[in-house]
Amino acid sequence: MILEEQILPYMQWLWSGGPGSIGALPRFLLIALGLGFLGLLLGFIVSAARHGILRGGDIVYRTITNGVRELWETSPRRVWALAQLAMKEAWRRRVVVALMVFFIILVFASWFLRTDHQDPAKLYISFVLTATTYLVLGIALLLSAFSLPADFKNKTIYTIVTKPVRAGEIVMGRTLGFTLVGTILLAIMGVSSYVFVNRSLDHTHEVDINSLKKVQDAAGEYIGQDGRTSLDANHRHEVELNTDGEGKAESNYGHYHQIVKRGDRSVVLGAEGIMRARVPRWGKLTFLDRQGVPKQRGISVGSEWTYRSFVDGNTQATAIWTFDDISPALNYDDGEVSGLPIGLIVRVFRTHKGVIGRGITGSIQVRNPETGLASEVIPFTALDAKIDERIIPQKLRGTDDKEYDLYKDFVSPNGQLEIRVQCLEGGQYFGFAQPDMYLRLPDASPVVNWLKVYASIWVQMVIVIAIGVTASTLLSGPVAMLFTVSFIVLGFFRPFFVGVAAGTEYGGGPVESFYRLITQKNIITKLDEGFTTSLIQGVDLVFRSLMLTMAQVLPDFAALSTVAFAALGFDVPADKVYQDLTMCLAYVIGLSVVGYFLLRTREVAR
Amino acid sequence: MSDDIVIQTRALGKVYRDFWGRQKVRALKPLDLEIQRGEVLGLLGPNGSGKTTTIKLILGLLFPTEGEALVFGKRATDVSKNERIGYLPEESYLYRFLNAEETLDFYGRLFDMSAETRKQRVDELIKMVGLDRARKRQLQEYSKGMTRRIGLAQALINNPELILLDEPTSGLDPIGTREMKDMILRLKEEGKTVVMCSHLLADVQDVCDRIAILHQGELKELGRVDTLLTVADVTQIRARNLTADCQNEIRQVIARHHGELMEMDNPSTTLEELFLSIVRDSEARPGRRANVEQTTSA
Repeated sequence: MILEEQILPYMQWLWSGGPGSIGALPRFLLIALGLGFLGLLLGFIVSAARHGILRGGDIVYRTITNGVRELWETSPRRVWALAQLAMKEAWRRRVVVALMVFFIILVFASWFLRTDHQDPAKLYISFVLTATTYLVLGIALLLSAFSLPADFKNKTIYTIVTKPVRAGEIVMGRTLGFTLVGTILLAIMGVSSYVFVNRSLDHTHEVDINSLKKVQDAAGEYIGQDGRTSLDANHRHEVELNTDGEGKAESNYGHYHQIVKRGDRSVVLGAEGIMRARVPRWGKLTFLDRQGVPKQRGISVGSEWTYRSFVDGNTQATAIWTFDDISPALNYDDGEVSGLPIGLIVRVFRTHKGVIGRGITGSIQVRNPETGLASEVIPFTALDAKIDERIIPQKLRGTDDKEYDLYKDFVSPNGQLEIRVQCLEGGQYFGFAQPDMYLRLPDASPVVNWLKVYASIWVQMVIVIAIGVTASTLLSGPVAMLFTVSFIVLGFFRPFFVGVAAGTEYGGGPVESFYRLITQKNIITKLDEGFTTSLIQGVDLVFRSLMLTMAQVLPDFAALSTVAFAALGFDVPADKVYQDLTMCLAYVIGLSVVGYFLLRTREVAR
Repeated sequence: MSDDIVIQTRALGKVYRDFWGRQKVRALKPLDLEIQRGEVLGLLGPNGSGKTTTIKLILGLLFPTEGEALVFGKRATDVSKNERIGYLPEESYLYRFLNAEETLDFYGRLFDMSAETRKQRVDELIKMVGLDRARKRQLQEYSKGMTRRIGLAQALINNPELILLDEPTSGLDPIGTREMKDMILRLKEEGKTVVMCSHLLADVQDVCDRIAILHQGELKELGRVDTLLTVADVTQIRARNLTADCQNEIRQVIARHHGELMEMDNPSTTLEELFLSIVRDSEARPGRRANVEQTTSA
């Protein structure tokens, strides 16, 4: 699971924020205040230029006082009437075609998506959810950007604004109406795609009778059979049967099957665990370098993406996760195995091929951070980017070969436990980020998780609708659409946009980039010093300041997406859902205010 | 501002500008106008004379370049004034995917009317404008006349005190025109204030108490219709059943008093009257050709 930004607890996110940042609410208020002041200034300048300073000031004053008054005069009945009108209009504009497109996508998806993929669920879920996201954002864009301009063009707006309808009610009504239409579409898509993924990936196997071999214990007593299943849906499973002929087809391709005895046959049941919602509890990651010196990060292997850092094999380099609040309550016990369930994702960076198809050997060791008591190493084989779910046994041997209890001896009195991972093969590297190891809590409901992912798509849709409606209060349909598209595209690449604005990206600002393009200079080459370069960089400074201001209100669509959570089988944290919903509310409020003033200050008639 | 003054404009002017702020056209030169409660005022003028601009400024659809318009003592841009206003635009700009009931219900909700009041009002208005049989049809299926009627109904949904009608009879057949004029007179009887703009002079003459004549954005004349249209030095006598001798005697009397006889003949009716009488006759005696060759004043 890639999690570049730590998900803070909701209240901390709202009020105080993470280290080096401020809370979302103070940030919202600051931005609102700043933009409000800028809007006021701009409004005054325009009014003063048109009507003179005194009249301009009077107009601005009246616009603000009217705005405050009209906010209190907002009528839910009028808003609902306008929302219903927007819904009827959307229906008339054949919004239902979007559903047909969606179903066509599903039909073709089942033809082209590979079922021999290593993790077909990931492929199917990410495809379906990504398609839903883009489709819904597209519909939201078209509905919201063209509606009000059509009213202006057809002059139907004349019969609205000559009624006691406040401009804010028009903006809210449209936003609410299109949101409801989008919600209905999303609900249908959500149910359909859930059924589609489950039905597409459901399959069964036969136990391959010829592959079964009897298994005996150390005393030579018959304890069951090992073998494999038939090849179905492009894969097989290893099979373990007990003496009654029942058992399990082991986890492979992201799922497993139960095997039951029916008559004299062992029958493989349907796939289980295709859709999961793992609930991780993350710890804090630090490193030891190859000499065993503590570091905040591992080494770089030259990847531009600095999310993960690496430990080199067969040295003292170690990734150390420290987990808090460890107690026996976290223990997993199924009668056969008892211990602490963890999940581990390793990015393997090979400097030589090794044996094709075989993983790289590593070790896991638990340690009491206070006493320094360490367990013996638990060897494992790492396959690149695969989620390795394992249990750290409750009974462990220490480095002194004595047996210890995980919770009593390796957990410090303040509830901390260290888990250390090393790469054991020289010349090979393991790459880690903090979320790559987690304590596995009991899985959440995949259906609820599906709902949460759709909630995040809904949030993106509402933000697009709010932007579209706001833009359409001032701009014509096509221009409002282009404006909204720009917002969406920039929103999806927000980190890059912020990087360019902050000057941390190679290649400089927009003008410098353009200059490099036409002069065929790469982004690293230093520009010759001189007047031209100074001029370019001077103009870029202005552009970058504007971009930085814009970045403050640019929604981070990539961060809002939770498709990766569902695709990789992780539960979307409730804190993230609350944060996204709050952010959505902030955008709707902020954009409605902007939309109100834009609509209020424009002439409806021509 | 007195309570009896419903609309007051003070040096109200409008200049249309291009994107760069340059003057394109002066649509309305400073206009001072007061409209009293309960009167019917007609704004007259050729196309482009500033009639519609004046109405749009009064409604707040346009912002004045200079001066101001007050409606019920409030600025034209104050939305709350719309509670007491009904507006019929030039071309009944309505949502064509709604039917008559839905349309009126929608506009009723914009006035925050309760469901019960809306139901009652919608029913009344649909019957009043004669669309009872078409109440469930979408407006896109309506003829122009029907669209004007539903447009008028939406303008009256809130039982307004002030009604602004932009070319109310445009697109209506003579019967519709007559009904619209009757409606305006009925509204006047109910004490409502009506401002209408039109370039159909006969319509204005029939229903308006006062007229304002605009030309090239400037107010050229303002006054009571009867006063403005009275020709002071001409006397008109209308009599029935005069013999030829009697007519000659009248001519002699006029000559004896040094008057100039300008015209003495049988008057003709208006085409509107003729048309309406044919339609009435046709409705009263369906299937028979109307006898209209000789029309009498009776």
